[in-house]
Amino acid sequence: MSTSFLPRLLRATSFRLAALYVALFAVSALVLGAAVFLIARSAIEQQMAARIETETAFLRGEFRTAGLDHLLAVVRARGRGTSALDYLVEDATGTRLAGEMAAARPLRAGWAFAEVSEASEDNGRPERVRELVSDLGGGVWLAVGDDLGRVADLEEAIVPAFLWTVGPAVLLGIGGGILLSRAFLNRVDAIARTAEAIIGGDLARRVPVRGTGDDLDRLASTLNRMLDRIAALMESLRQVSSDVAHDLRTPLSRLYQRLEDARAHARSMPEYEAAIDGAVGEAEGLLGTFSALLRIAQVEGASPLAGFRDVNLSAVAEAVADAYRPDVEEAAHRLATQVSPGIFVNGDQELLTQALANLVENALRHTPRGTTIRVRLACEGDGRVRLTVEDNGPGAPAEDLPRLTHRFYRGERSRTTPGNGLGLSLVAAVAELHSAPLALDDAKPGLRVSLVFPASAIHPC
Amino acid sequence: MRILLIEDDQETASYLARGLREHGHVVDHAATGQDGLFLAGGGHDVLIVDRMLPGLDGLGLVRALRETGVKAPVLFLTALGGVGDRVKGLEAGGDDYLVKPFAFAELLARVNALARRPPLVEVRTVLRVADLEMDLLKRTVTRDGHRIELQPREFQLLECLLANAERVVTRTMLLETVWDFHFDPKTNIVETHMSRLRAKLAQEGGAELIHTVRGAGYALRAPVSDTS
Repeated sequence: MSTSFLPRLLRATSFRLAALYVALFAVSALVLGAAVFLIARSAIEQQMAARIETETAFLRGEFRTAGLDHLLAVVRARGRGTSALDYLVEDATGTRLAGEMAAARPLRAGWAFAEVSEASEDNGRPERVRELVSDLGGGVWLAVGDDLGRVADLEEAIVPAFLWTVGPAVLLGIGGGILLSRAFLNRVDAIARTAEAIIGGDLARRVPVRGTGDDLDRLASTLNRMLDRIAALMESLRQVSSDVAHDLRTPLSRLYQRLEDARAHARSMPEYEAAIDGAVGEAEGLLGTFSALLRIAQVEGASPLAGFRDVNLSAVAEAVADAYRPDVEEAAHRLATQVSPGIFVNGDQELLTQALANLVENALRHTPRGTTIRVRLACEGDGRVRLTVEDNGPGAPAEDLPRLTHRFYRGERSRTTPGNGLGLSLVAAVAELHSAPLALDDAKPGLRVSLVFPASAIHPC
Repeated sequence: MRILLIEDDQETASYLARGLREHGHVVDHAATGQDGLFLAGGGHDVLIVDRMLPGLDGLGLVRALRETGVKAPVLFLTALGGVGDRVKGLEAGGDDYLVKPFAFAELLARVNALARRPPLVEVRTVLRVADLEMDLLKRTVTRDGHRIELQPREFQLLECLLANAERVVTRTMLLETVWDFHFDPKTNIVETHMSRLRAKLAQEGGAELIHTVRGAGYALRAPVSDTS
């Protein structure tokens, strides 16, 4: 990672984002700093102007009430004092009467700037002075000013302070970006390593989830769910192969034995015909089992969206009940339906029909005469749809219930009845495809099988 | 009737061709999609097309045939019994669909049904065999003038038999047409309904019209004495 880290870092999304944020932060800090600086400078200048104006008004008052000599005395006293202001008093001929301040020539009433070169002050740097010149009357001019150097001092104070704050912030931003990217890249690497391990054959590997619920965690758990689904499909495929190996071997060997036997012992035409009929019957049974297995595998591997449309489940239930009613009656059973009309679910009509038919057939085949089979279809309160097939026959032992949907599983009592043990497996696969949980429970007495379909968006129940 | 069989498996093809010829049909055989496309312009009555063919597959072949104006009915044969496969076959322009493996009697019944399928423009409102009459508009059935009350499914069952009168209709065909069941129920749905229908048709006397054809299905036939 160390050799390729830098180029990868620069490409990493989070680093790019961090860099962008740093740039934006620097720009906004600059704008903020400039604004603060300008406002501070303008405030200082206003303050300065106010002081100068107050001082001028005061001195004008002194001159008016007490005359020139008093003014000069006051100015001289102030010039010697610690007051930061500079003064100049001139007569009409331009002769300096008091104060040391330089003044812009010619003197004109109002605001002006002037250069003061005082070797003694500020290491000989020329001072810029802002001054207010006033005509006091009687040929006397007064100028009061202040050193603009204070504003320059402010600039000198603010700019380095600003650089000292923004600089570390930018560095922190870049450093943080690198750290964040590194963390991000580490987690991406973890996902990539998991994928590599799975490609390498370690199918049980899963992407680590940190439990923080962030984007990468959500991605990781989505990937894990995808891997689980693929694993389930592969498991079902593996299961089919081993089921086929185990459960098709018996009828295949029966078929083989019948044919062998016919070759060895049959002598007459009727004997051959009987052997052939037997073999054909055996082959038909095998093919039936085989296509049932294939169908289950196809349903398990199907995508729920392919071929799904709104199915009138009420009509399906009525049609299936209608189809089986004569059969049920011939077998001295009863078929009762409680089907609410107009219930729709999103699904595959053909598969739903077959699943319901399998349930009715199961109930018919595994219960004694006189049993009542009930087909119920109704809305749950929350918009879900419940389809139930229930009988009041002997039911199944509680420990058998979870195993009834396993392929080729047949309860002890049904070993002797016809069937291949795949009917409920198909129902389970169809239920899974429709996200409709399949429940088998004791109807006391009897077996109750129910499917609960999620609420349909288009035809709310 | 002239049948074009497009099937790449040599053994299946010769078995089917022999069976069809034994039943009096003329059979042409093509082993690839391209050969099939070439032969299909020859005015056959029915095309039997395998879904999986080398070169041009069955779906593509039938689509191409329909585009070039070949209207002969097509029966698809397929090893794919998948949920959407039948629909795809019918959408491509097939008329019927048979999943391998199948009994030869099933194939024969379906080929016969396809070949004599009446043109769509011809609307028949009354079906009649011997003294049995079905009015499709009034939804009534009479035998020798006597009204027979049938349940809706029994009516559909009889309609299917009457529409294919004198021909074998298999159990699977009935399940598909009458019940829209595209799977094989393990119980005797068809048999039970059929025996009820027979009992109702026989309640006023008269000859047995619905015959069971062993190993194949059922056929509605006029009594021999009437036709001779």
